Amino acid sequence: MKIIVAIKQVPERDARIRIDAQGKWIDLQDVEFTMNESDAYALEEALQLKEAHGGEVIVLSAGPERVGRTIREALAKGADRAIHIESADETALSDFDALGIARLLAAAVKDEQADLILTGLQSDDLGLGQTGVIMAELLGLPHATLILKIEKTDTGIKVLRELEDGWFQHLALPTPAVLTIQSGNSKLRYATLMGIKKAKTKEVRIVSVADLQASNPDLAPRPVVVLEKIILPHKQRTTQILGGTPGEAAAALVEKLQFEVRAI
Amino acid sequence: MYLVVATPSTLGLFAGPILPADPGRFLLIEKFVLAALILTSAGLFWKRFGIVVDKIFKSRRDPGFHLSPVGKRIWDFFWEVLCQAKVIRERPLPGLAHAFVFWSFLAFALVTLNHIATGFGIPMLAPNGLSRYIPLFADFYFLFAALFAIACVVSIAGLFIRRFVVRPVWLSRVGHELSWESGVIAGLIFALMATYLASFFVADGSLAARLLWWSHTLSLLVFLPLVPHTKHLHLILSPVTIFLSRGSFSQIPPLAGDEDFGLVTGKDLTQLVSLQAYSCVECGRCTEHCPAANTGKILNPKEVILGVRGYLNEYGPVGSSAEELLLGKYNSQEAAFQCTTCGACEFQCPVGIEHVPIIVGLRRGAVNTGAWEDDYGTKLFLAMERNSNALGLSASERDKFIQKQELPIFDGTQEYCLWLGCMGGYDPKGREIISSFVEVMRYLGTSYGVLRKEKCTGDPARRLGNDLVFQQLAESNLEAMTQQKVKKIISICPHCVRTIQEDWKEFGTPPEIEHHSEFLARHQTQLPHQKTEEKIAYHDPCYLGRYRNVYDQPRSVISSAGTLVEAERSRERSFCCGAGGGLAFLGEEHGQRVSSVRAQELVATGATTIGAACPFCNTMFRDALASQGDNSPRLLDIAQIAAMQLPKPDAKPQA
Repeated sequence: MKIIVAIKQVPERDARIRIDAQGKWIDLQDVEFTMNESDAYALEEALQLKEAHGGEVIVLSAGPERVGRTIREALAKGADRAIHIESADETALSDFDALGIARLLAAAVKDEQADLILTGLQSDDLGLGQTGVIMAELLGLPHATLILKIEKTDTGIKVLRELEDGWFQHLALPTPAVLTIQSGNSKLRYATLMGIKKAKTKEVRIVSVADLQASNPDLAPRPVVVLEKIILPHKQRTTQILGGTPGEAAAALVEKLQFEVRAI
Repeated sequence: MYLVVATPSTLGLFAGPILPADPGRFLLIEKFVLAALILTSAGLFWKRFGIVVDKIFKSRRDPGFHLSPVGKRIWDFFWEVLCQAKVIRERPLPGLAHAFVFWSFLAFALVTLNHIATGFGIPMLAPNGLSRYIPLFADFYFLFAALFAIACVVSIAGLFIRRFVVRPVWLSRVGHELSWESGVIAGLIFALMATYLASFFVADGSLAARLLWWSHTLSLLVFLPLVPHTKHLHLILSPVTIFLSRGSFSQIPPLAGDEDFGLVTGKDLTQLVSLQAYSCVECGRCTEHCPAANTGKILNPKEVILGVRGYLNEYGPVGSSAEELLLGKYNSQEAAFQCTTCGACEFQCPVGIEHVPIIVGLRRGAVNTGAWEDDYGTKLFLAMERNSNALGLSASERDKFIQKQELPIFDGTQEYCLWLGCMGGYDPKGREIISSFVEVMRYLGTSYGVLRKEKCTGDPARRLGNDLVFQQLAESNLEAMTQQKVKKIISICPHCVRTIQEDWKEFGTPPEIEHHSEFLARHQTQLPHQKTEEKIAYHDPCYLGRYRNVYDQPRSVISSAGTLVEAERSRERSFCCGAGGGLAFLGEEHGQRVSSVRAQELVATGATTIGAACPFCNTMFRDALASQGDNSPRLLDIAQIAAMQLPKPDAKPQA
């Protein structure tokens, strides 16, 4: 199987977030970056499929030079090669919305003839959950979202999809297809020294955004969604006292834990 | 024959010069037989020894090994080999017996040379030999050697009884019969000494003298080829092994080049590893002191070393068969990951084997290639990759603690950089230790600050063999320290201290660092003391004691607050808490928990307080003592013990 995994580099989860001067994005200075979590699970799924059925795993990522570190990490974990859509600088991609990014990604891989394109369900920074499905649309491929498990069959693939409220859906899809992967189902592997050393010799094809645009004017940013302003969430702590008899309080607590906090 | 010596009727000794009987003149045919036997014996010796030497020399060279400082090597050789100091210190009675056998061998070197030379008709110690130049030399030397021979006969008999009658479990090997060859060797040594002693009591030139001479010679020539075929190879190799140690305790060698991932296959075995594997004398001191082996784990440090030897014997260090994994037929991955890296084995080893670098090397081989799959281990590595701390918590948790405790941020002007570490920054009990230590520093007016950002030193990754994570953390920490102009660090965690001071050296020059027990001991006179009658047991953390040689400083802190009591195993022989080597993060153990075995030992002292000096020991004992019930002693770090005695300025007056 030839599998492409689209990966995004995002600010680390516990990075100290400050809004930048324009108020349209976070200040990226002093921020450490990491692989988007659900993309890490998409990569793990791809690697497991490769281990079971053979083939090739290609990492695809867009962003400035710093994205190279995350690409190396994916190669170190076992991906075979990578395509890096490199933007000239930190802000060059900020004019693109999810549609624009998906166009770039699709353009970069349309000639690869992959059997599967996997990506995370959504990004940890913007959380739009759009890139994967738009790519499917642009490439004219079937897609499924919120995927927990992928199984290869004679005719295509069978997937397990998470629905609301503890429900699951089993789907059969033909290949090629695009799947967006939910976090948490498989166990991620750790990067190894041998992997990193091997990654040094693996091919990373760098495609500049400008080159892509030169060959296809449609790839110029034409955002349909524009970020106007971002604000830090206002943190507040509230305490609720659950009254009534101990029995009633316990029942109310269970209900809240189940449906509000969704911890049980 | 030994009894003969003690019989007064045989004391014709005093009649004339006291010399072994002259065996008389040898026939030419005897000389030929002697030469043939010597050649056969030497040939049989080399047939095996040559292979061993070849395997050691064909092993990879040790990266980062250097001979200097030679002075320390010479001292170690003198103290541990010639004086047998470690052998005697750690097992006094068998140790002394061993030392006498060894010293007799040394004393006998000249006697043996003379003995063989006599066979060829050129005795060196005869009255017309060396004594011509040094009066009475032969008389003196033969008696001198005889005294050693007596000591040796007694010793070897004792050791024989120990091995075959008392049979301590450590001398045995799982799945192996009683070592018959040890019996044969003991018998030969006995025969060598007895024939020598007996020759004092027979007449010059008699048939008895001739027969004794031949018996002595045959014992010697049978003994020689047995040496490389048995564990008695240590006789030749261990002096070299001790001289060529890696240089410091539990020193993990650097990886060399892009193809070095630790000990993966035979080609990764270095000359020192192979030399050490062949030096093992199978005494089992390592196993006797190993916390894993003592609590029902499969790890047995002796078997690890003999496993490497088995591998070398079957596959060798080079060639196509050396592609076999080291963690395979002869050593198990499961065992390698049960090691707490406490270093008791390495500390005890009388022949200079460095177990920890070998076990960590095997782990490196498994982790650096991704062969080790363990849910807890993976979780730990991912936490260290993503959150840069071993507990997998958000760095903002540390920030909150710093704010709450109003800890000053290090800006280059303060004397000390207070290193919080993962435990001090994130663990509730570790934070208590930091808070207490900060109280002491505030009382003393010490200027200190904490780093705004801190990453794990990489200790768990280092000991578990994840060089990638370790390198990333070490490099990024070193860079931050240089930027912040950190000169002196102080830490509450012996693991942090060790890793920063020794292991980071591979990637740069770490700042000076000390453990808070050293700081507290140095400031004892400036601190107030409220000594009580309370009995306080001190537990030596492995990484402070064996790794850093700090034993007395924490004890001085404890003695200032109460009566220090010692556990059955303490100081160099302290028993691990079970947390080291990254094992604190690896989930449930097999067999007994190391921590509960140690906690019971500490409770058995009758102490009402247990003094710890490591946040990892602390967390292990906290859990272990919890299962001891309500009467369990309280558990305090020495920083807390020191802080307890400070005046409480804002304490409310008692009603």
